[in-house]
Amino acid sequence: MTGAQAAGLPGRDADGAAASAVKAMQAEGRLAEARERYAELVGRHQRRAVRIALHYMRDAAEADEAVQDAFVKAYSHLDSFREELPFEVWFTRILINGCLDRIKARTRRARWLAPMPDGPGGQQDFAERTAGKGPSPEEQLLARERRVELTRALAKLPERQRSVFMLSHYEGCTSREVSAMTGLNESTVRVHLFRAIRKLRILLVETTAGKSSMEKRRVNP
Amino acid sequence: MSILNRLRLHSHLDDAAIAALWTESTLAGRRAAHPHLGACTACRTRFTVFSESLEDLRSDAAAEADALFPADRLAAQQAQILRRIEASERPARVIAFPRFPSPLTSRAPYASRWIAAAAAAGLIVGVGVGQVMDFRHVGTAAVPSRSQARLAGHPQPPADRATASMASTNPGGDEAFLSALDASLSRPSVPELRAIDEFTPRAGEQPR
Repeated sequence: MTGAQAAGLPGRDADGAAASAVKAMQAEGRLAEARERYAELVGRHQRRAVRIALHYMRDAAEADEAVQDAFVKAYSHLDSFREELPFEVWFTRILINGCLDRIKARTRRARWLAPMPDGPGGQQDFAERTAGKGPSPEEQLLARERRVELTRALAKLPERQRSVFMLSHYEGCTSREVSAMTGLNESTVRVHLFRAIRKLRILLVETTAGKSSMEKRRVNP
Repeated sequence: MSILNRLRLHSHLDDAAIAALWTESTLAGRRAAHPHLGACTACRTRFTVFSESLEDLRSDAAAEADALFPADRLAAQQAQILRRIEASERPARVIAFPRFPSPLTSRAPYASRWIAAAAAAGLIVGVGVGQVMDFRHVGTAAVPSRSQARLAGHPQPPADRATASMASTNPGGDEAFLSALDASLSRPSVPELRAIDEFTPRAGEQPR
């Protein structure tokens, strides 16, 4: 628990206060103190940032780098942070822009470089494939299948619809926050979310129907 | 209540209406409120199933992210972020040009130094000697030998210092002076031997 939370300040107010304090310390040249205070902010927003980056990048290493870049960039541009905007919203916008830049760069690279063949473990590396104390293999398999279906369905959505869906549903942001993060109008956010939901539902229903028909064919060829 | 509202209230919600209802409730951060949902169990069930499926998607995605980024990885990431920030605040480090205790190109510096010095000295001595030899050659070419002078019918120049000094006082007799110089160089300077030298025949004076 951070100092601000312990003092009973709501999270956003605490974020704003911490960001302003870091900004003041930077201006006064108390850099070590500023870093220490900024670490609080990093700890508070890191997990959420990682989730968002992972949804965009679909790769743990790239998401890790994107989050690091966003936090470093936010720290170095803290003088442009306005107190009236929540830090979370300002930071998420930096993160999303960074992720989109990385996706663009990746697309450019993919256009010129031949893809590496997948190993036996697919995208996961050895460390991620080793057995642990988690759920049973069957559960893992089912969860993995569901995730794959979801990923495919999400990948079929247009970029804006995907962003809006992710921010509003996964991160629990309001339409105003999503609007501030993405730069879209609130009404546009609503429309995008509605379309994303409808499309996702159709895609997932189609996938389920396709699977069940395949299973029927397998049982009664 | 108008007929249209009654129809809307009694007709079942389609997928689009359920999605719209869910969107509104999610974005507003409150529970879905629709008059038909309260009245129709079937639609309420459909809405609940729809909401639950989306909730499953959310929890799956969160579980995936948490599995890929456990607490220790997040801690490492935070440490890395702070290190990068610290590095960016530090002034740029100037790396000194590498200096080696001994030159990398030569393994025997003293030997090569001596060789170079000897070569330079040899060159200087060679040039100097070459210059001296050249002057002597020029001098002998300009001054005719005593025998040549004799053959040409010139008078025999006196070979003592007095003659030389006399010749130097007479600037008009350059030829005589040079002949005297030649004679003094070719004859022995010791006076006791001069008489013997006079009797000794020269190779150039022998009849062929």
